[in-house]
Amino acid sequence: MAEILELKPPVKVDYKDTTDLAVFVRTSDEELASWNRQKIVEALIRETLLDRDTAEMISKEVEQVIIRSGISVLTSPLIREIVDAKLIEHGLERARRMHTRLGMPLYDVEQLLTYPNKENANVPHGPEATNLTLAENIKKEYALLNVFSQDISDAHMKGDVHLHDLGFIDRPYCSGQSLEYIKKFGLSLPNSLAIAKPAKHPEVLLAHMVKFAAALQSNFAGAIGWDAVNLFFAPYLEGMIDRDLKQLAQMLIFEFSQQAVARGGQAIFSDINLYWEVPKHFESVPAIGPAGEYTGKTYGEYSEQAKRFVKALFEVYMEGDGCGRPFFFPKPLVHITEKFWKEEGHEDFLNLISEVACEKGNTYFVFDRGNTAKISECCRLSFKLQESDLLDAKMPWRMRYSALQNVTINLPRIAYEAKGSDVKLFEIIAERMELAVKAHIQKRLFIEKLLSQGEKGPLALLTMNKDGQPYLRMHRVSYLIGMVGLNELVKYHLGQELHESNFALQFGLKIIAHMKLLSDKFSKMHNMHFVLEQTPAESTAYRFARLDLKHYSEKAGRVVKGDISRGEIYYTNSTYLNVSHPINPIDRIKIEGKFHPLIEAGSLTHIWLGEKKPAKETMANFIKKIFHQTENDQVAFSPEFSTCLDCRRTERGLATSCKYCGSEKIENITRITGYFTRVSSWNKGKIGELRDRFRSVEYF
Amino acid sequence: MILFSTPTCGKCKEIKESFDLKKLGVEVKELTEDNPDALAWLAYYELVKKAENGLPIMVLKESNVVITGAENIKKFLQNKLKN
Repeated sequence: MAEILELKPPVKVDYKDTTDLAVFVRTSDEELASWNRQKIVEALIRETLLDRDTAEMISKEVEQVIIRSGISVLTSPLIREIVDAKLIEHGLERARRMHTRLGMPLYDVEQLLTYPNKENANVPHGPEATNLTLAENIKKEYALLNVFSQDISDAHMKGDVHLHDLGFIDRPYCSGQSLEYIKKFGLSLPNSLAIAKPAKHPEVLLAHMVKFAAALQSNFAGAIGWDAVNLFFAPYLEGMIDRDLKQLAQMLIFEFSQQAVARGGQAIFSDINLYWEVPKHFESVPAIGPAGEYTGKTYGEYSEQAKRFVKALFEVYMEGDGCGRPFFFPKPLVHITEKFWKEEGHEDFLNLISEVACEKGNTYFVFDRGNTAKISECCRLSFKLQESDLLDAKMPWRMRYSALQNVTINLPRIAYEAKGSDVKLFEIIAERMELAVKAHIQKRLFIEKLLSQGEKGPLALLTMNKDGQPYLRMHRVSYLIGMVGLNELVKYHLGQELHESNFALQFGLKIIAHMKLLSDKFSKMHNMHFVLEQTPAESTAYRFARLDLKHYSEKAGRVVKGDISRGEIYYTNSTYLNVSHPINPIDRIKIEGKFHPLIEAGSLTHIWLGEKKPAKETMANFIKKIFHQTENDQVAFSPEFSTCLDCRRTERGLATSCKYCGSEKIENITRITGYFTRVSSWNKGKIGELRDRFRSVEYF
Repeated sequence: MILFSTPTCGKCKEIKESFDLKKLGVEVKELTEDNPDALAWLAYYELVKKAENGLPIMVLKESNVVITGAENIKKFLQNKLKN
């Protein structure tokens, strides 16, 4: 946004009406400039569609206000505010919008610099984090003013929908890729001071992976996922002894979990997809090895090395960090395909990953039944591979997938507005879906504008073209439509929660089926890939609940979850059952799993373990049952931990003092949405949910 | 009983034309792009992925038994007629 008063070489103009004011202006260039009314005229003409006469008239009126005030030192933001007030007085609303100054009040900045921001529990409190928040706030304002149309911005502000990551408006949402890209092309990034050829050694490949992940994190708002990591490392691991392999596994996990240098000083939100078996679509693919050269073998022939590496990784997860805590990142997503159950050694491996799930909670079990193939990332997002993607699998460096944006719909509010009418309910859902689609189209146009500037533009990394297509393959991008509070919608509309009757559950399924069919319809209509996602809603479930309590108090008060008196309120996430409902975990997995096939871009069921530590064999049998007897897509088990900040020992459960040394300097840790983090960084809504969570203590 | 079908599925059409489904107590759910109710029932019985591999599918509501394949469904309905 250009400043009104710029200290450029003075233009000699005979301002007949200029009063010789003894007023100085503090400009944003950190200089004191003398008053020059003509700067207002120039700014109005440059930034709005006003004609010169109107601009002159406004500037003179502003000058009169300043003369009358008797002020001696002005700031450019204050002048802009006075100009905007004059524009409003004259009914020039469009010009005022175009002339808006973005920024934050002094008080808010002071609060931000001093106190932690709890919107995202993965962002620590520090100077880098406040830089991030300040920048995010301005970009949010810019997005709502300039990227999205008024109706979309209003829908977001009111809480009908939530436009995620507005502070990252100039980036896509998340990215999934494989190591093959850097194995083949090396590490050669736009604007980089040095170019690296393809790695010759596994440690160098790991260094490239971590640096590339950091570069990608600077260009995407959300998670960075890596496909089949153990398999694609395998050609580098031949002949490596077990000790060195374990060391490499340890390096990989520590590099990602300790590298708190990404945006705002947070760790890179990273996911590694892992397989015990070589997935069918990679079996006959020629393997790329050291120096980016084909090894002459296929990936099917690297099964042994891939297995050794994935086992080593889970041995490291089992140990935890220096305090025995679970690693927060990278999140290990183990894909279990039909082939898994026939693969040699699968029983032992299942026991190992089940043990990690019981001890540390790290393992995400991703079920790829039938011929499904997926890349998973973020809290639950996954990209289902289509026929054309499976052709791309023959050249795996091409397999790069992204979601451009996530828009979440506030479902309980729709029930309040429908006032018990099914017809109205389904109609409003369609209207909100239409809004979400419109928001996606507007974001796409904005990103395309940035991408069109190519290698000199802000998204140069995403336009780099090493294999005949840009890194970000816009034709394969997905547009996510999420939902929050299905349980509360059903409760308000029918008087029963999802778990309370088959009728309520069936009605919930009908809502999601309606949304799925609409997203398919919009996909055809706009030739864009709209898909439903279970929004992680770390802060959205809290935001929607707060806004609804404010604007629909009586109605929302009947269904909102949490403790209203403490302000710890929330809506139930996506299509989940009430988190406090005491239900057998297999029933929860089965019932929640009924929704999963309708939600193409990813679903997950959480089982809260609390202090319970099930036996690994029990867990392994449980996983087998889930795979064969349900349609559930993904399951994670969440234990709770407390780490003493004095003696550095970790115990099970959410303790208030250390059982070893008695210290009260305790850090509680558990899973917030799709990742582990410190409870102290959670927002109030999530704290409310944590209090309510039903721990499956008696069922294992 | 529920029969899941689509208007374009040839085998489903054969079953619908060969039997008086209403008389047999079979409710037909047509999976079309404007019928969320049918899709919701399919999801309720955890048959979405199975349906991707082919229709028709029949569900016996009382016992939760699932019959797949047109021939098997026909046999079942013929037996039902005999009884």
